[in-house]
Amino acid sequence: MEFEAVIGLEIHIELNCATKLFCDCPNNPGDDANTNTCPVCLWFPGAPARLSRAALEKAALLCLGLNCELQTKSAFDQKVYYYPDQPKGYQLSQAHRPLARGGWVDITDEDGSVKRLNIHHIHMEEDVAKLVHEMDGRTPVSLVDFNRAGAPLVEIVTEPDFRTPHHAMEFLKTLRTQVRYIGSSECSMENGTMRADANISIRPRGTNQMNTKVEVKNMNSVRHVGDAIAHEISRQSAAVRVGETITEHTRLWDPDKKTTLPMREKFEAPCIPDPSIPEIILQPDEISAWRSRLPEMPAALAKRFVSQHCLSIEEATYLSSDPETASYFEELVRRGVAARTAMHWVSTQLLPALRQRNLEITQAPVTPQRLARLLAMLAGDEINAAAARDVLSFMFECNDSPEDIVKNRGLGQLSDGDELTAMVERVLARQTAAVEDFKSGQAKAMGFLIGQVMQASGGKANPKVIKEMLTRKLSS
Amino acid sequence: MDSVFSYQNEAPSGNIDGPLAGLKIAVQPTIGVAGWPAQAGSEALAGYSSPDDATVIARLRQGGAMLAGLTHAGELGLGINNKSTAGRPTEAKITDAEVMLDLTGEARLSAARSNLWGFKPSWGLLPRTGIAGLIPSMEACGILARDPATIRAILETTAGADDRDFSQPALRYKVVNADEIKPGQLTLGIIKDATALLSGTKQDAFKEQMNELKKSGFQIRDLSWPDYRLCLTVHRLVGSVEASSAAGRYDSVRFGKRAPGARNWNEMYLQSRGAFFGTLIKSYLIQGAYFQFERYDAYENACRIRARLLIQVQRLFGQADVLVFPVQRPADTETLSGLYEQCKFTAHANVTGLPALHVPHVSADSPGIELQATHGDCGRVIALGEYLHRLRAGGRS
Repeated sequence: MEFEAVIGLEIHIELNCATKLFCDCPNNPGDDANTNTCPVCLWFPGAPARLSRAALEKAALLCLGLNCELQTKSAFDQKVYYYPDQPKGYQLSQAHRPLARGGWVDITDEDGSVKRLNIHHIHMEEDVAKLVHEMDGRTPVSLVDFNRAGAPLVEIVTEPDFRTPHHAMEFLKTLRTQVRYIGSSECSMENGTMRADANISIRPRGTNQMNTKVEVKNMNSVRHVGDAIAHEISRQSAAVRVGETITEHTRLWDPDKKTTLPMREKFEAPCIPDPSIPEIILQPDEISAWRSRLPEMPAALAKRFVSQHCLSIEEATYLSSDPETASYFEELVRRGVAARTAMHWVSTQLLPALRQRNLEITQAPVTPQRLARLLAMLAGDEINAAAARDVLSFMFECNDSPEDIVKNRGLGQLSDGDELTAMVERVLARQTAAVEDFKSGQAKAMGFLIGQVMQASGGKANPKVIKEMLTRKLSS
Repeated sequence: MDSVFSYQNEAPSGNIDGPLAGLKIAVQPTIGVAGWPAQAGSEALAGYSSPDDATVIARLRQGGAMLAGLTHAGELGLGINNKSTAGRPTEAKITDAEVMLDLTGEARLSAARSNLWGFKPSWGLLPRTGIAGLIPSMEACGILARDPATIRAILETTAGADDRDFSQPALRYKVVNADEIKPGQLTLGIIKDATALLSGTKQDAFKEQMNELKKSGFQIRDLSWPDYRLCLTVHRLVGSVEASSAAGRYDSVRFGKRAPGARNWNEMYLQSRGAFFGTLIKSYLIQGAYFQFERYDAYENACRIRARLLIQVQRLFGQADVLVFPVQRPADTETLSGLYEQCKFTAHANVTGLPALHVPHVSADSPGIELQATHGDCGRVIALGEYLHRLRAGGRS
């Protein structure tokens, strides 16, 4: 029997707000342990929670950007469960009345077609504290860091529309791009600002059965999600083939052993409405105002890059996969750089140089303004491409203008004059064999001769001008 | 009489220009006073001191009140038992008034025990910031005093919006003066479904009090509220479910007490949660946990019934200006059944959130009465209380 998987994801995204969800403590979980705490996020007696408007706005923008329907009324519940990272005994979450319902993300399927994966709902909730297990000599010590307690999260619960690990991985990648565009989160699985759990069941291919699902946790990268799902599909398929019954439970992904291990029975905590946090009521004009603040989303941007700048869909998709990169590209174009040149220099020169230096594009010392000036010199034949690459490298090291770097380092292009003519004549005189080859119809000899002149000029000669001069001399 | 206090302020002082200047106030240790013990009558909070003044306390200080000390409280303020000294300092004239939590009627019942005036404001009128709560949708900071004018003064000083308490509804304290009470224009409604729960002799005594009010010119109207008995059931379900969550934060470990003998820290946390609560609170929380985990449908039904009760009681105010209920003096208890017997005439005001004023009894054998007005209309019940206080004083003179 052939099986197919039925997969749904539950994704927690930490909002990049300045403060926590219910108090004014800085939302910096990475700071020294227990420095960002107050009576509210430590849940001392009598410390009332007050919902952060900034968090609500970031969450609402995220929902709108994912095509969800914001609910005009939503509310917080107490999800009742106890763990040492949750010592107050309940987590504030929106179990019964989420902030948004519906929504979708379009991905590219393995056959190149567009597949729409639907979102069931998105709700807000507070993060729990972080447990730190250490050894004090031979004694194990467990500590609780409350910096993360109360950090603002949204949880995205998808429909069980996914059938393959590819779907899950592409969903997460596309989601990450879109949320970064919206500006609500950095969405890094590696840094823990995006965490995904998968619910997986299998059924005979072609049926509509919804069988017992298994939850898999502890996947710290998109690749781990794909690997864990693939493993779980194989495990469940093998189990069913030998007549085992799949029971509902939670498993942990072990990335080293590339396997899932049973963790505990599935636990559904009861959720009761929180009486102290008022219902969230959104007015239509408020929702409209938020909608108008949404940026152009990556799919729409890529489409525009194709039509407006004549880029290929691959180039456009590449540039639009990161909002800052897209913005950088557009700024270059606004400053008069030809779109294709801008795309080429951003993708082949700028981004690799940034990666080499461990810098984000927002931290680049080579601003679009500086790079545009450099590319204008290239377009104006003031320097050649090789020199431009050198200049770019120098621009990372100092704040000098590209013009000054070219001038000070003598990188200007030789385009005319006696010096270039003399160089061409010297090369022709020395390379008689290549001259004969060219004259006998071997066109590639021209390339060799151009290379010789370039070498003689120390890389400063303008190849176009050299070619013209060589052509003239060889045909006379 | 030092034993009425669990903590005594050696040098109480207050702003001499404030409206409460010279007033000595005792505080239940469920209400935070900066730097004072805030044990709320529970071993689970032993050693905890409040980091800040509760908003109510800050406003009392601003008003010139002198904080005399902390009373002894039933655990987390729930119920009346022989450890609780609420009402005693004021009865003994050591203090002029007290502030305390009213979860099932404790402020009014403590007043009944000490024959004081006891008031539970409309839900949300007084901020709950800094109060160690237990039943968020039903609790209120109650006020006890020997006369209703003192309650009015305290209410006027402490009521109103607190930007730290996000749960407060947009309620205003309606000011009504005793002079504006015209007995001939005021209809008092008696809920026969409530009075039917009194024993025969107490029913007679209650009727006698109503007759006295009628003789004073008030219009008395018998009203029917068939679902009245459901109020206690709703309180039992919703109250205990809310408490079961809310008490989670009183985990003892973070406040310094750990149960010994656990094999690991998870076990230590779990054992500590059980080790330091008393019998009544444990029973109450277990009851709530049962409804949370096993009978959530019953909890949902109770919430629906509660919404219906709110509509029903609001309709009663179309037939009467003030509702009058009997009050019985509480017997100390440490059991759930005893708790519900204590509060069978008071818990409905916590369910509906209405303002309720306990009027002391006129003789040792008669029950007190409780006056209730519609939401936010605290001024009317207090003004009526002041009117009755004057009437009684006049009657005695």
